Amino acid sequence: MSVAIEFRDIVKAFGPVQVLHGVSFALQPGRVVGLLGENGAGKSTLMKILSGYEQATAGELLVNGRAVHFDGSRAAEAEGIVLIHQEFNLAEDLTIAQNIFLGHEKRRGWLLDDAAMNRESARVLQQVGLRISPETPVRQLIVAEKQLVEIAKALARKARFLIMDEPTATLTPSETERLFALIAQLKADGVTLLYISHKLDEVERITDEVVVMRDGRFVARAATRDVTRHQMANLMVGRELSDLYPPKAPRPAAAQPLLRVQGLTVPGWAEGVSFEVRPGEILGFAGLVGAGRTELFEGLLGLRPRTVERVELEGRPVRWRNPRDAANQGLTYLSEDRKGKGLHVHFGLRENLTLMALSRYATPWLRPDAERRALEEAVKRFGIRTGTLDNRASALSGGNQQKLALAKVLHPGPKVVVLDEPTRGVDVGARRDIYFLIEALAREGRAVIVISSELLELIGLCHRVAVMRGGHLRTTLDASQLTEEELIAHATGTH
Amino acid sequence: MPPEPTDAMKPGAATSAAVGGTPRPDTSTRAGSRARALLHGFGPILGLIVLCIAGTALNSDFATLDNVMNVLTRTAFIGIIAVGMCFVIISGGIDLSVGSMAALIAGAMILVMNRLAPSFGSPVSVIGIGIGFALLLGALFGLAHGLLIARGGIEPFIVTLGTLGIFRAYLTYFADGGAITLDSDLSDVYSPVYYASLLGVPIPVWVFLAVALVGGLILNRTAYGRYVQAIGSNEQVARYAAVDVGRIKVLTYMLLGACVGIATVLYVPRLGSASPTTGLLWELEAIAAVIVGGTALKGGAGTITGTVVGAVLLSVISNILNLTSIISVYLNSAVQGFVIISVAFMQRRRK
Amino acid sequence: MKSVIRKLAIGASAVAALLTASGALAQTQPQVHIGVAIPTATHGFTGGIVWWANQAKKDMEKAHPGLKITVKTAAGAPEQANQLQDLLTVNKINTLVIFPFESASLTKPVAQLKGKGVYVTVVDRGLTDTSAQDAYVAGDNTAFGKLAAEYLAKRLNGKGNIVALRGIPTTLDNERMDAFNAVMKNYPDIKLLDARYANWNRDDAFKVMQDYLTRFKQIDAVWAADDDMAVGVLKAIEQAKRTDIKEVFGGAGSKGMVKTILDGKNKLIQADVSYSPKFIYDAIKLTAEARLKGEKLPATTIVPSVLITKENAKEFYFPDSPF
Repeated sequence: MSVAIEFRDIVKAFGPVQVLHGVSFALQPGRVVGLLGENGAGKSTLMKILSGYEQATAGELLVNGRAVHFDGSRAAEAEGIVLIHQEFNLAEDLTIAQNIFLGHEKRRGWLLDDAAMNRESARVLQQVGLRISPETPVRQLIVAEKQLVEIAKALARKARFLIMDEPTATLTPSETERLFALIAQLKADGVTLLYISHKLDEVERITDEVVVMRDGRFVARAATRDVTRHQMANLMVGRELSDLYPPKAPRPAAAQPLLRVQGLTVPGWAEGVSFEVRPGEILGFAGLVGAGRTELFEGLLGLRPRTVERVELEGRPVRWRNPRDAANQGLTYLSEDRKGKGLHVHFGLRENLTLMALSRYATPWLRPDAERRALEEAVKRFGIRTGTLDNRASALSGGNQQKLALAKVLHPGPKVVVLDEPTRGVDVGARRDIYFLIEALAREGRAVIVISSELLELIGLCHRVAVMRGGHLRTTLDASQLTEEELIAHATGTH
Repeated sequence: MPPEPTDAMKPGAATSAAVGGTPRPDTSTRAGSRARALLHGFGPILGLIVLCIAGTALNSDFATLDNVMNVLTRTAFIGIIAVGMCFVIISGGIDLSVGSMAALIAGAMILVMNRLAPSFGSPVSVIGIGIGFALLLGALFGLAHGLLIARGGIEPFIVTLGTLGIFRAYLTYFADGGAITLDSDLSDVYSPVYYASLLGVPIPVWVFLAVALVGGLILNRTAYGRYVQAIGSNEQVARYAAVDVGRIKVLTYMLLGACVGIATVLYVPRLGSASPTTGLLWELEAIAAVIVGGTALKGGAGTITGTVVGAVLLSVISNILNLTSIISVYLNSAVQGFVIISVAFMQRRRK
Repeated sequence: MKSVIRKLAIGASAVAALLTASGALAQTQPQVHIGVAIPTATHGFTGGIVWWANQAKKDMEKAHPGLKITVKTAAGAPEQANQLQDLLTVNKINTLVIFPFESASLTKPVAQLKGKGVYVTVVDRGLTDTSAQDAYVAGDNTAFGKLAAEYLAKRLNGKGNIVALRGIPTTLDNERMDAFNAVMKNYPDIKLLDARYANWNRDDAFKVMQDYLTRFKQIDAVWAADDDMAVGVLKAIEQAKRTDIKEVFGGAGSKGMVKTILDGKNKLIQADVSYSPKFIYDAIKLTAEARLKGEKLPATTIVPSVLITKENAKEFYFPDSPF
């Protein structure tokens, strides 16, 4: 049996802030629907209401024509509606099977029936194409596998309506392919799928129709085959979008590299990696998840045990024991893990922005007025959308948090900046802002290193792209060689 | 709930009304959350005010200047330690050893002063050296804690649980299980530090005030204070943001050690002695003052003002109980418990 | 009362002489091995207990080559129970002198040792089942309260206001308070204004006394009920500069207090009542001597509490003891 959903005038307010202004639309069963909208458009909130994590302030939710009220995710699950979060909800120390049945454990009398749970888990794992023992602790899985476990968990709960929020954000191309195959299979089984993504090419490929939201309102719906990607983007942003990427300046011809790394080894992750980047250059790092790109740079900063033959900044040898040393000498790093390593979400915007350059505001007493002026400037320059400057970072949407994180690592005025997945979970409009910003940084004479899993982004932005596989830097491609096929071939070792 | 006109004025509500829905006004939740936010900030102060009114009603002597000064002076030790503890807790740590540390510093300080007294002419310089020694010893103990925690990678709970026993055992050893008493000549010169007043306010209260003000300034207006909050809020983020997490942590425990030293410097002239019961359970009182004052035990955020109010609140409770006979003496701790929980309830955070 | 002590002393020296004479015959295996289980030194009084127990070990082992004494200190009742096990199985004691941490929870463990043939002397706190002990040696808690009350009543000429401090809620504390109240019944003009717990702790006593001073405008005497607490009380009075108080009466006869009385240093301190931790010394000594002779102790020996005044203070002054 499939599930048909209808929203009627859904209103949602958090305190004085209204995020949904009466959203109404219906979804037919057995289809794959793409839900589009910029960050802050209200997609996630609407989906949380549908899956029982939030309650609507006003309005009605109908399931198969029947008005329902979910007071928790369990109530929604009972109707077959399951949300797979952008950030996974898995207990890291439990096994896959324990996670799949968390809160729904099978029992035999007073005792847990582990055998039955493992059997059932193995079945759903096979269905999602994950060949791994259900007794493996989740901690040992890579991100893509966790994603599949989340889907398996939903299937084990007899999901008939599956909501996926940015499922491919952390997946490699081949993993994405596997997910799409799975989606097609689920659809064939009669499951309704709601697919939230900023990647319009994916939406175009796998959805039957698209629903567009903007500023907490329903804007449009259309059969996917009737709209182009460009039209989708325009609907989302509400205005005509020009080119996503800035025009590429030629690779600067400076003789001396700004940063030069030789023989960097991070045990277990990277082996003897050497590279250099010139002032004004944007160097990309491509590779599959687990290729060691993030770990390489964490090692460079002293966040992981590592050995290195030589690091030179502007021709002078440097030794960095920790990120503080690196920042003092002019290199800062934006982590891919925004909430875990990038931002203090419970801090105010001002405190986040100035954290890496506090000495500038300490005389020795901090000057909040100066910090505030800096924040006003950053909000303007980085296009951070916030109701009030006194907000906490957690009040910003994902894209705006990312802009804030970017502003933060650039605040000390680094000569070299390493941006790890700078547009993860960021919508089209904000994404374009970030690309232009990166380009501007390079034009100012800084060296920019971009680590990304999105090949188009690397191709559109970088002068050169280094490709890593299995902890080794396999090749460095320059602009003339940059194609998706070439990058994939090097990243997967099928060249 | 009937719709209220104020909400219909808002564009969002107007839109949904126009579509034909029945918008539910959110004024009630908004007013509720605002009241809660207010309570959150003022919970401890409100609790203190209620207690003071109750105290005055039960015994008119409660509101006398003498009694108020007695209570504030008594609060000074715990209060000063609580200010240091506030930093440690905000940074995500804990220190269980402060009571024992105070006892050992007091004992060591007295022994040093007694030893020096014969060879120095003026008792004042001996006391000066004693005070310097106490502060130094406090900072050194803090340094040891900080190094074990930040560089040694041991949980603060365990490190300080260990030193809790070590400090008190050494004091008991030095005191042979009895008391270490300051020579009476020194004691006479030193006692004004606790008993004397300046402008009608006892010295310990002035010191407490100064420590609280400087503490507030350091926490809110220096880079170090910001880093302390950043580490407690999310240590990983702080580390990635180029904060020298280890150094800041060590400094935080040293700051607390110095606060314990200051508290001890004020404590010793009161009785002129240190015994194995000195500072017993001070750690819990200091931690309770910090938490009652609205700081989260898991760290990240907290205020010095709240801590000061929390410390005063705790000593006011026992003061009121001593000033009246309406509650059985057997139930004193129960009353304290009820008040702590009620205040904590008033200022609990919304999830 | 004094005759009891004298008799004990004579008996002891006689035995000592006898045993020193036969010292050459002593075997390597001690005839009598006494295990002494006492609380660790956490405040003045227990500090004294530990000191006197070790003093007894030193003196007794020197005097009696056939005697061995093993002293164990415990920080809590469970630890003490474990030590009893160790004393029997590891140290192989045949006699036990115990200052129980708590009465109820240690009755069973002591009874077990007695069941294995160990001779048991219980000190200070009686066990709940007296059949678990062979002998009981204790200080006189009734006299502790009674002497204080009688002295204060006489000092105030049967008229005035008294405030009292109490220790930690225990039977021992109750016995003292009850004895105090029993005497005061005979003096209707003496009013006990309040009695609060200050945990035998100087700092707590200071705070409680400060609040008494705020609350009561006329106080004639303070029963501090402990010499440690008296220290805090005196400081609070000194700070408040109150002159209405004529006497502060402590208790236990600590070194400092006895010295104060002896020197007449403080007019508020004129007398004290003895409740010396030395009774652990007496208990070990009595037990050792009786066991060496193969005799039994009387079922109950009360080490009397005595009023200490300037006249007899000298007898109670032990400058080497920490208490």
